Amino acid sequence: MAPSGTVADPPPSSATDSFNSGATAENDIRPFFVLHKASSGNLQAKSTGTVKSKRRIESPSPSKFAKKSEPESVEEEDNDYFSTLRLKVFDTVWSKIEKTIENVLRDSNSKVFSGIHDWIRESFESIRSSGALSLSEAVRSYPVLTQASSKQLFTALVLTRNLEMVDDLLTFEELHLRLKSQGCHVAKLSSMDFSAKNGVGGCLRGLLRQFVMPTIDVADVTILASWYRENKNHENPVVIIVDDTERCCGSVLSDLILILSEWAIKVPIFIIMGVSTAHDAPRKILSMNALQRLCASKFTLSSPAERMDAVLEAVFLKPCSGFTVSHKVALFMRSYFLCQDGTLTSFVRTLKIACLQHFSLEPLSIMLEHFCQDDSNQLSDEGTGLLTEATMKHAFDLPSVTRNKITRSTYEMLPQFLLDLQRMPNPWSIVVLCIYEAGKFDKLRLLDIFCETLDPEARYLKYFSPSATVNSQSHISGRNSVIRQLLRKLRDLSPSQLSSLLKSWEKLTAEFSEINDKVMELHPFMRSVEAAGQRQGLPSSPKKHASRSHSKLEKELKAMTDKVAAVIEFMLREYMKPVESVPFNEILCFKNVDKLQSALLGDPRGRIQSDLLESHSILHCMCCSQRGTTTLLPSMHDTSILYTLAQEHADVINLHDWYQSFKTILVPRSSKAKPKSKTASKSKKRKDRCEEPPEPPAEALVQARFCRAVMELQIAGLIRMPSKRRPDFVQRVAFGS
Amino acid sequence: MEDTENIEEDEYGFSRNYFLAKELGGSSKRSAHKLSDINLVDEQELRETASNIETKHTKEISELLDGYKTMYPKWVFELRCGFGLLMYGFGSKKALIEDFASASLTEYSVVVINGYLPSINLKQVLLAIAELLSELLKCRRKSSGSVSKSQETFPSRSIDDILAFLHGSQSNDRDCFICVLVHNIDGPALRDPESQQTLAQLASCSHIRIIASIDHVNAPLLWDKKMVHKQFNWLWHHVPTFAPYKVEGVFIPLVLAQGSTAQTAKTAAIVLQSLTPNAQNVFKILADYQLSHPDEDGMPVDDLYSASRERFFVSSQVTLNSHLTEFKDHELVKTKRNSDGQECLNIPLSSDALRQLLLDLNQ
Repeated sequence: MAPSGTVADPPPSSATDSFNSGATAENDIRPFFVLHKASSGNLQAKSTGTVKSKRRIESPSPSKFAKKSEPESVEEEDNDYFSTLRLKVFDTVWSKIEKTIENVLRDSNSKVFSGIHDWIRESFESIRSSGALSLSEAVRSYPVLTQASSKQLFTALVLTRNLEMVDDLLTFEELHLRLKSQGCHVAKLSSMDFSAKNGVGGCLRGLLRQFVMPTIDVADVTILASWYRENKNHENPVVIIVDDTERCCGSVLSDLILILSEWAIKVPIFIIMGVSTAHDAPRKILSMNALQRLCASKFTLSSPAERMDAVLEAVFLKPCSGFTVSHKVALFMRSYFLCQDGTLTSFVRTLKIACLQHFSLEPLSIMLEHFCQDDSNQLSDEGTGLLTEATMKHAFDLPSVTRNKITRSTYEMLPQFLLDLQRMPNPWSIVVLCIYEAGKFDKLRLLDIFCETLDPEARYLKYFSPSATVNSQSHISGRNSVIRQLLRKLRDLSPSQLSSLLKSWEKLTAEFSEINDKVMELHPFMRSVEAAGQRQGLPSSPKKHASRSHSKLEKELKAMTDKVAAVIEFMLREYMKPVESVPFNEILCFKNVDKLQSALLGDPRGRIQSDLLESHSILHCMCCSQRGTTTLLPSMHDTSILYTLAQEHADVINLHDWYQSFKTILVPRSSKAKPKSKTASKSKKRKDRCEEPPEPPAEALVQARFCRAVMELQIAGLIRMPSKRRPDFVQRVAFGS
Repeated sequence: MEDTENIEEDEYGFSRNYFLAKELGGSSKRSAHKLSDINLVDEQELRETASNIETKHTKEISELLDGYKTMYPKWVFELRCGFGLLMYGFGSKKALIEDFASASLTEYSVVVINGYLPSINLKQVLLAIAELLSELLKCRRKSSGSVSKSQETFPSRSIDDILAFLHGSQSNDRDCFICVLVHNIDGPALRDPESQQTLAQLASCSHIRIIASIDHVNAPLLWDKKMVHKQFNWLWHHVPTFAPYKVEGVFIPLVLAQGSTAQTAKTAAIVLQSLTPNAQNVFKILADYQLSHPDEDGMPVDDLYSASRERFFVSSQVTLNSHLTEFKDHELVKTKRNSDGQECLNIPLSSDALRQLLLDLNQ
């Protein structure tokens, strides 16, 4: 009866080779239908296909791709082969990046997590020691009457320091798993469970489903109590995680707390509440009664900016997947993070889109597979083996290759170049990390340093070139330069800060002797600074002495900071080679910021309007595009004409006037009182350009077209229909993009 | 820094345009012309003509669509990488997306949801998808040699259960998924937050990929950050087609035919068909009553309840009320108080239209 209820077999589809799908008219008015099923034949073909490609990946035969005269089917097969390979490499690369990010985030939270766990254990022990209940007592249908203090619920407020919940979903998921693995009974509720619609019954049901069994459909807290007494369940605490407390319905959450607190003696429950605003958030949403039942402890997670820096470091500056981004892309990602979204999740998603775009735009990107592997020796043989004649040509046409005047004659050097690219940790990342370490005293963000140091045309590169002198520093480089700021702030460092900086540099550069030597040279100076500091600190020394030693300390300190600055300058001068300046960097570096932006941020408001206002430039039709954009021609798309006309109106449009002007465009009237010659010439010109005869359309047709154009504008959400109060006007909704 | 400036400039431009338009409206007197000043043609003729308008630039439009065909492999790659595709730009994208699915997604099952319709029962959609998926997974398990699970039955389950099944189904093959094609995910029936939440949860299943189109300029406001980044995982594609919105516009009244804002029998039938059989039967009782008592104000609610209960179409007042809410939302039924003060239900259709509607429903 209801066609929508059945999974009907797909109708014979005729839409495979044309967009004109007349046969599917019936499907148009069904709420949903199955267009086609993946036939088992297809599955078979596909599975053999993957087997085949796997075999071929194992033994790549470069000669195969060089043959150009093969029939098309082979070419198609090759395309298939490459798309499968590309997908495989993308999976490898992205799962590596994803895993790295997950680990970083887990590390950043682990301290807080173990704190929470310790808190649960201690509190649980204290409850247990106060006396356990017998089974008969515990399953009694009414709560045990005890003194007020036993109605307290232990609660942890976890301050996320992030207004965007989306970043912390994973955090609480991790916490859930972590506590579960340590034996706690854990249930996770979100604001969706605490809706006013379902009331407290809804969230109790949710709890029981997670604790007792997934099919349960009653909301009775006694079930929880009897479950807790079964099979040694009572040896472990019960934990409830509410990840977005502020978004919960306050009364429902209060009710739940009151109910659970009544049972607190029988079922020791711990509530973990994610709080994104401030520690006093529960006071704003919970009732007074519920608040009194809470015995709260506070925990604080790391801020998004800190996590962001940790992620950046792990993904781009430590050995990871090899994939990286250009300066422009990094700048875009930074401004997207800072100005638009502000969540780490969106940053990671941007990175994934960049990675995806890289693989779909750059044929050589499949070589990233070998950067991902841990032993670097593989690349030289197998990596280049994958290169076909066509990709080889492409490789030597890359801008970075032609710029560096590398030609096919230096083909043998290709493995060397690739190895250079692959070298991790490369000097550049070491230098960036050293700068970051120095910048930490000034609270510089790695994101800023990263973006600045990626710039292949940065001014400091020229400035620090050997020919330049140190003193010209003052008038060089822009005000916003992070590096410049850092060099300036270096003078304010205390001896202890300098010493810890040196220690961390030593660690960072351990694998890179050229820089490490320079750092080691600083140690004697550091010791003398420290010695001077100690002398000054001696309490017994007379005043005169003190001032003298003070000035000596300052002198030593100044000499020391100069030396440190000199080392930084040395590092920048010698090793600051951003990835974009290296030959063949296109293999691992994603550069197309426009593609990234358009895939990440659709701009329907702006683009749909510009589609309408510049329809001829998208349609590329001869008839409308010859006159500038300002003239409306009857051959133009109706909706386009109507929307252009709408631009002349105020926030409301009189339908009558709008229709009349629309009609004037569609039906050029030479007999009208308008300047005759102009319209005549217009229509004449139009005659030349348009294939259709200039016969004026009938009144009904004009009205129908007007109706349809208005309807299309309404679908696009650009106008609002006439209201009862104002039946002759439509309202404009969008103004500019 | 540059970006910030650009954004600010854009915003400035936007507000300037807005205030200019407002000012224009305030200072110059609004045109007093009435719509009735136009020599409006007969509504029937208008509808007829409107359905037969010749599309301009058909050649260019088909070239434009052919141009998008080169993107198909890229789109497939993006789907396989786990992203959802969101198509936007002026013009109906229905034909484009279905052509893409028929041409390039032959390896995957494809379910199409017509979001432009005024009413869609998402539970039925989910059921169909769950059945397809369990079939697919069974097929996979068979081919890989492992024992298949016992037959899954879905119809009695709730939306949450079906979603839980979709989330729980795991297969090692990452390239095993069902494509769900949503025309107008911003359409009238899907615009409410619950539907969007359901769709978002559907999209986040590992075996589901969504390809959707939007037409409304403010469609992104439907989604919060969790939905955008974690669930739908959209990749935007600007694909203006300039193709006419033929089916999408069926349910929108013509602006120059304001006299007939009443529902036609056809649109009512489409709405009814998407409801459950019980709801349809309740509606039939109401319609029969109205046809046999043409002079009354409508059927009293209590009478409708007892009649429906007798025939086991509803079990309680609550279920009847939920059906009535559905009817009222789609303007199939209006309430009125009769002279006795009873609340009466009335279908705002002429007797002929009502008879036609019953015929359609009984087919």
